[in-house]
Amino acid sequence: MVFRLLRLVLILALVVVSAPSFDAMAQAIGQGSAALIAEQQKAIQDLSAKTDDLEKKMQQDGEDDAGLVDIRLQLEEMSRAALTSALAFRSRLSDINARIEVLGAPPAEGQPPEPEIVASERGALAAEKAEINAVIASAQNLSIRISGLIDKIGAMRSALFRNVLTKHYELSDALSPQVFADAQNEYTGLYRAVSSWLTFAIKFKFQAVLAAALMALALAAVLFVGGRRLFGRIFEADPSVEDPSYLSRLSVAFWSTLLPTLAVGVFLASTVFFFNYYNVLRGDIGVFLNALAAVIAVVFCVNRLTNAALEPRLPNWRLIPVETGPARWLVRLTTAMAVVIGINSFLSVVNDKMGSPLSLTIARSFVATIIVGVILILMALLRPFKAPDGSWRPWPAWLRYTAIALGLFTIAAALFGYIGLSFFVSRQVVVTGTILVTAYIGFLSAREIGEEGGFAGTSIGRWLSATSSYEDAALDQLGLVVSIAINVMIVLVFLPLILLMWGFQPGDIQAWAYKLATGITIGSVTISFLGILTGIVVFIIGYFLTRWFQGWLDGSVMARGKVDTGVRNSIRLAVGYAGVALAALVGVSAAGIDLSNLALVAGALSLGIGFGLQNVVSNFVSGLILLAERPFKVGDWIVAGDISGTVKKISVRATEIETFQRQSVILPNSNLINNAVGNWTHRNKLGRVDIKVGVAYGSDVKQVHAVLLEIARSHALVLKNPEPFVLFTNFGPAALEFEIRVFLADVMNGNIVQNDIRFAVLDAFHSEHIEIPSQPRAVVETKKHEAWPIDDDKIEAEFAEREQALVEAEAEAKRLAKSRRKARKPDPD
Amino acid sequence: MPCEMQQRRWRHRYCKMWKSVVAAIAFLAVGGSAFAASAVNKDAETRTLIVTEGGGKTELALAAGETVEFCPNGCFVTLPNGDLEALTGSETVEISGGVARIK
Repeated sequence: MVFRLLRLVLILALVVVSAPSFDAMAQAIGQGSAALIAEQQKAIQDLSAKTDDLEKKMQQDGEDDAGLVDIRLQLEEMSRAALTSALAFRSRLSDINARIEVLGAPPAEGQPPEPEIVASERGALAAEKAEINAVIASAQNLSIRISGLIDKIGAMRSALFRNVLTKHYELSDALSPQVFADAQNEYTGLYRAVSSWLTFAIKFKFQAVLAAALMALALAAVLFVGGRRLFGRIFEADPSVEDPSYLSRLSVAFWSTLLPTLAVGVFLASTVFFFNYYNVLRGDIGVFLNALAAVIAVVFCVNRLTNAALEPRLPNWRLIPVETGPARWLVRLTTAMAVVIGINSFLSVVNDKMGSPLSLTIARSFVATIIVGVILILMALLRPFKAPDGSWRPWPAWLRYTAIALGLFTIAAALFGYIGLSFFVSRQVVVTGTILVTAYIGFLSAREIGEEGGFAGTSIGRWLSATSSYEDAALDQLGLVVSIAINVMIVLVFLPLILLMWGFQPGDIQAWAYKLATGITIGSVTISFLGILTGIVVFIIGYFLTRWFQGWLDGSVMARGKVDTGVRNSIRLAVGYAGVALAALVGVSAAGIDLSNLALVAGALSLGIGFGLQNVVSNFVSGLILLAERPFKVGDWIVAGDISGTVKKISVRATEIETFQRQSVILPNSNLINNAVGNWTHRNKLGRVDIKVGVAYGSDVKQVHAVLLEIARSHALVLKNPEPFVLFTNFGPAALEFEIRVFLADVMNGNIVQNDIRFAVLDAFHSEHIEIPSQPRAVVETKKHEAWPIDDDKIEAEFAEREQALVEAEAEAKRLAKSRRKARKPDPD
Repeated sequence: MPCEMQQRRWRHRYCKMWKSVVAAIAFLAVGGSAFAASAVNKDAETRTLIVTEGGGKTELALAAGETVEFCPNGCFVTLPNGDLEALTGSETVEISGGVARIK
């Protein structure tokens, strides 16, 4: 009774104490959550306001491709931001859900109502949840709207591109005398702008201009001179070389294009940068300068490339075997084409800024495209090769017809008024052509480096083979790696360049790269190159760390600790396997691969593995036992069944044994565990050698015994303890049989000792007049008539073959003699 | 050139090496599917999620015991109890007893 009362009091006290605290907690959480809701609501409102702005901007900038790409990037960013602000509610939502679950379902009809406090908390939680859901829903609507806008931008951009290519202009309007007047006006305007800027620059900013120009020059000089000093030998054609290899020609062409272009590019970019930095530029001059710099860089690059590939002055170094005259013309024509395209691009910028009439733009592009078309046709009609009979031969047909077709297409498109299309084609011919040719030269040289012996022939390869201990095979493998790296580099550098030329914007490429790195989805499978690469890199690092640790443990710790070689080998192998397994696991998880997926597959396969890989698994386990138990170590002489030889390598599945005939036998480990294995050199190399001797009946056996014992004792390699022993084994059918049993410290010397003792026995018996009987055998003399040779050719061929074999054997013997300076003792068996 | 046609030894070796590299990459690529969010239905009846991804709403019906990968780059999802949640694309949605939990 008292107990029950006490309980009641306790419960009451608990309710009284806990009720206000529950309330306070709920309120506190409610306030925190209200702040969160207000914050995120504001963030989403900001985002949608920004989206409104961007949508307006989209309508205004509908003609500007780069602007559209920029808007798209901003939209994608905002879509991510909307998702993030929706994510902020996750922990609060899960709290609310947990709390509601704790409160349980509301009481049904007819059941006693729940306490007031529970009902109010339930209501508050539901209201808060509804509010949060409303905010997330607004974020969701925003994200839907943004992806609609992104799709719209894609449609607008492709329409824009189509429009540029298909727009038709009336040439008769554009090519009137009025154009000349317009051109005159524009020229005057440009002249005025530039001259006023020059006066301003010289009067007020002279020092800054000077400093900027000097700095840019210094930077370019550093790059160029440094590059020349570093790679000078690689990229300068040496006129004294009679017949340079294809690889050196390729690398000269590639590097002598790349490095100077890079230097000029750096010079131009830094000039523009420093002018900007010192505030020298004014008005439109900056835009003009940028355009001019781009034009100069492109023209220079084209000129360098054609010069490098065709080398009009050095016929030996020419990549394409054209004749000298045509080579010169080709260089001139391509440079002229680049100049025309460059001037036209520059003038288009000027036209834009000066607000010139459309007719002028059309006239200018018309002239430029016609010139490019004519140059293309001229190049196609050139006859660059010389036939052996001295006549000139044209380009291969496909090249010739493609060039003529491109030229005719450009001219025809221009004549029919499709100036945009025509100019697009001619620009692509020059710029894309240049990039493609450079990339192709790079690919070719990568392939040459990857060829057998290719890398060893390069200057880096020669340097490596001179200064380090790399062998040819290692150099070849290194060459392969280098060639793969060059290929990857070319793709990474030139693919974006070509895409840029074809009207894609940097933003596009950035978005693609982002997608490629984080994962592209095909069906339900997502491929992430970044993840895969990370996994591979992590694995490689882990692998090398393991190898290093293995080497350190083996070489420093265990060698110093005087650990037995067998134990050392076992520990090294075990550490190696464990390390590689660990690296693989870490790599797999770094690649983001869910190991539980693999576990599923492994579970399904385990039955099949159990049956199919039974032998492999048993060998594997046997290998582990071998490592732990160490019945033999590397270098031991073992006998396993029919196989006798030295152990070369103990791996996890099989053990490699080299017989004394130098045959490598790979013995599965389970054989070595399940069957008896003899080991001649297990604890020590002590071993017994038996030599049988028979003497004729009638000899003095005591004397024989004494002689044999004396011979055995007097040999230097025979151990004194255990003593040599001569056993009188048998009264044989033809002889009295003895056996000399001697113990050797190193059983590997068995053959030497046997030989020595047998010689000594013969000598001693000879001087003591003891006879060794031999069973007479019948001797049958046969006379073989050699068949008269019929096939002289065959005999001759056989003779030559024999000679050849003799020569080869001699060479082999010489080689062996050279490589093995130390005389080896004969094999024990 | 197919590998079988290359007869010189060193080429053959590289060929083998390439094969194993390609195989490893293919394996990794297939295994690399753990980047999307996944949904598991542990109930005995079909449950439906509404997924908003890239401007469109789709209904994702999960049969009993089914696991589905979806939404690799972030999305909004409406859970069976009417809650709206945002996913970054690395979560696991577990439905049991009609209640979805995000892990």
